[in-house]
Amino acid sequence: MDSVHHVPNIMYAFGFSAIALFIYNLQRFFVVKIGKEETRPRVTYFSAIRNALIYGVVQMRVNRMRFSYATVMHLLLGWGMFELIFATAVDMFTKWGLFTSFLPQMDEPWFAVLNDLGGAMVFVGLLMALYRRHVMKPELLPQDNFTGRGYLFADTGLLLFILLLDVGGFIAEASRLAIEQPLTASFSWIGYPLSMITDAETWALLQPYIWWGHALTSFSLIAVLPLTKMFHAVAVVVNVALTDTDIRGKLRTMYVSKLMEDPDADFDEISLGSSTVKEFTWKQLLDSISCTECSRCTSVCPAYTSGKPLSPMEIITDVRNTLLENKSNTILPGDVISETALWSCTTCGACMEECPVLIDHIPTFTDLRRYLVLSEGKPPTQANESLEKTMNTGNPYGFSQADRTKWAKDAGIELPIIAAKKEADVLFWVGCAGAYDPRNQQVAKAMVKIFESAGVDYAVLGEEEMCTGDSARRMGEEYLFETMALQNIETLNQYTFNTIVTTCPHCFHTLGNEYTDFDGNYSVKHHSQFIQELISSGKLKVNEVETGTVTYHDPCYLGRHNQEYDAPRNVIQAITKPGALKEMKESKDQSFCCGAGGGNMWYDIEEGDRINHLRFDHAMETGATTVATACYFCTTMMDDAMKVRGKEDDIQVRDIAELVATNIE
Amino acid sequence: MKIGVLVKQVPVSDSSLRVNPDQLWVEEGSLNFEMNENDSYALEEALQIKEQSGEGEVVAISMGPADRTPKIIREALSKGADRGIHIVESSSHESDPYILATLFNEAVKDEGFDLVLSGLQSDDMSTGQTGLILGELLGMSTATMVVETEIQGENLKVKRELESGWFQWVTLSLPACVTIQSGINQPRYASLKGIMSAKRKEIRELQKDELMTGDSLQSLSKMYVQHKDKRTEMIEGDTQEIVSRLVDVFKSEAKVL
Ligand code: SF4
Ligand code: SF4
Repeated sequence: MDSVHHVPNIMYAFGFSAIALFIYNLQRFFVVKIGKEETRPRVTYFSAIRNALIYGVVQMRVNRMRFSYATVMHLLLGWGMFELIFATAVDMFTKWGLFTSFLPQMDEPWFAVLNDLGGAMVFVGLLMALYRRHVMKPELLPQDNFTGRGYLFADTGLLLFILLLDVGGFIAEASRLAIEQPLTASFSWIGYPLSMITDAETWALLQPYIWWGHALTSFSLIAVLPLTKMFHAVAVVVNVALTDTDIRGKLRTMYVSKLMEDPDADFDEISLGSSTVKEFTWKQLLDSISCTECSRCTSVCPAYTSGKPLSPMEIITDVRNTLLENKSNTILPGDVISETALWSCTTCGACMEECPVLIDHIPTFTDLRRYLVLSEGKPPTQANESLEKTMNTGNPYGFSQADRTKWAKDAGIELPIIAAKKEADVLFWVGCAGAYDPRNQQVAKAMVKIFESAGVDYAVLGEEEMCTGDSARRMGEEYLFETMALQNIETLNQYTFNTIVTTCPHCFHTLGNEYTDFDGNYSVKHHSQFIQELISSGKLKVNEVETGTVTYHDPCYLGRHNQEYDAPRNVIQAITKPGALKEMKESKDQSFCCGAGGGNMWYDIEEGDRINHLRFDHAMETGATTVATACYFCTTMMDDAMKVRGKEDDIQVRDIAELVATNIE
Repeated sequence: MKIGVLVKQVPVSDSSLRVNPDQLWVEEGSLNFEMNENDSYALEEALQIKEQSGEGEVVAISMGPADRTPKIIREALSKGADRGIHIVESSSHESDPYILATLFNEAVKDEGFDLVLSGLQSDDMSTGQTGLILGELLGMSTATMVVETEIQGENLKVKRELESGWFQWVTLSLPACVTIQSGINQPRYASLKGIMSAKRKEIRELQKDELMTGDSLQSLSKMYVQHKDKRTEMIEGDTQEIVSRLVDVFKSEAKVL
């Protein structure tokens, strides 16, 4: 490589300048400094390294079957680039004579094959990306290909630039092979054929230009990389490393009641929820600048799919753009992010499940909702009533607490009340819908039948049970949520029981995962888990009956939010013939929301289709004769959709408890 | 613009009610209370009028027992009312609208309100008179069943709802006292900020006996739950028998003949 050796100093100067610029440009990260302190538990070194490897390097979350084209494309690009960076590093160290005993020789056959493979992967990946942007044109991707994002290289520009770099690399390799003629040259399966297009003398003549051209393109890319969308390559690794994967999606508790007791609190100045970028924590801001605009979140969002004005990607990038434009005092909800978009979210978690860079959409959206409700007093108008009723009566329906057990009395069931019994093995958390909503009272009754048939020592709170505050919390009404939580915890702590069993995944989630912040620590089971245990332990004897075919709709707060996909399926399988369970295309972690979560049970977004109608159609497509659910809200939503679609004769909607109760031996 | 709003605390609309042994009122023990629906519209209207005029004061006035009534006055303060007046009176259900209006009059006559708003009627007693009589006692112009308001200088223009889809526009000279129909606006939700700042707002307590003594002109004699007896009797036999049995039932049991 003599031709190169006479310019090393200036080359080093360029190289180091590029790296210096790269580092300088990385200060883009520091915009997150204006964020608030992070209140969630810190990550450990171990979890940071583990997550950086799993989600940053291996790109675990990029690989999703439902995005197969993009997955292949990204794997080719990502892994190809890793290889090329590695090869470049080896080349550099070899030239410097560093670590030579550990590193492969550039011309070792396997390394030669691998290096060309890396280049080829990037090449194919780039072509796929260009094809996608210019021919497939997925509607959700930003379409301003040359001018978008306000950076030096917009989407297409950057692709072309990397293409130049990639092809330049092959040409540089070809020239080297032609001139140096290493014995293993033919293992460079792309560079070698390329080297034969002209003779060694011409290559020698061209080589300085080729080499300089390639070096300068590489250095330029390195220097500006943090300013382009390739910033994500760095940002994502940092972001996933700093994500606590165990508590993803967990809302940051505000401790409103403590705030209200604080005599020094200045309520006119205090900020409740987040209205400006400054009011997010630095991690939430880091999330926003790590977004790759892959649009996966939006493409799976039920609100978006049903035509509502919500794109989770857009909210995240709106936060980012406001941050990068230094508009730290701009009020986001209303001015930048539409309120209807915020209220359209059902907090189903589909976006978070798909986000390859582990962005936490729901807590961020909830903080914006908190601002609207707690600071501005602006929940969706239709929801005022359910919130005020919850505050005044303890349940969103506004019925009397004294009538909490009326459903049982009317059915001649004598419910054991824990206040009288003082202790029980199982505390059955009936939930407001089970107590007051006629459709779901059937589920509560089925549950009682199951308890009694299995000889479970159970009791209910009766009049003392209040709404868990789930809907209120999702709607950002943290004050109401805390009021309910503190009241319920006080009640629960008076009694002795081993397990709380809920028939509602929302109660399940709130009682089990959120009351812990207020010292309410209980062992909580969803009825699907509890019934599964009863069946497998033989305490509950069920028949395997001919009930036709069943499709199961995964409730978001049981499935995605609590990772319970198997228990309800096992229960269904225990009472049906083999093969009777027909899965919908969108099931388990890819389930599609019924539309009621996030408080949407209590208000309607006018725009677009009804989410429950779309979900009901998914169920119909399976041809099943029963759609099974394990959630009060889902049952209501599926039932309504069934009636609107006029399919009462074709399909029935049943909670798994109802299915089990009718099949008890 | 200085505006007074009467807000009443009533049992939550879907409560299951039990009548007291004295048969004059309901058992309150297990009841939850909320702001009378029409009054919450009146409150919202008052707040909006104040906001539009850019200055002024909204005073929430309520009458009821010492323990539970402050809750709805606070609610009004949380939503934006500036201060409250609480007439402490534990048996207001025994008083007729004239007495109630007189008490309110005694409590607010020196306030110099430009406008007094109240709900069209209360969800519990539903007399629909208290607001109107108060207007008369205060010597104000009055209008009922208002579904739209507009301040025009020294006047208040209101749209009144009449029967069968008819409306009427009336211009009142201020000060005025009007009763508000539900649906006139969209009552706001109390923000936490509002709830917090309400803690520092004043609620003046007045005792009923200090305001006036006097007996109601009307008295409530009995409160009871209407019995809905549903009986089904299958009448069998030939046409003649069925008809004569039917006539019998109409005469002696249903008493419609
Ligand atoms: S949680 Fe569900 S509804 Fe909300 S933005 Fe994410 S995908 Fe859409
Ligand atoms: S938030 Fe995540 S899933 Fe959505 S566009 Fe950004 S990186 Fe992709």
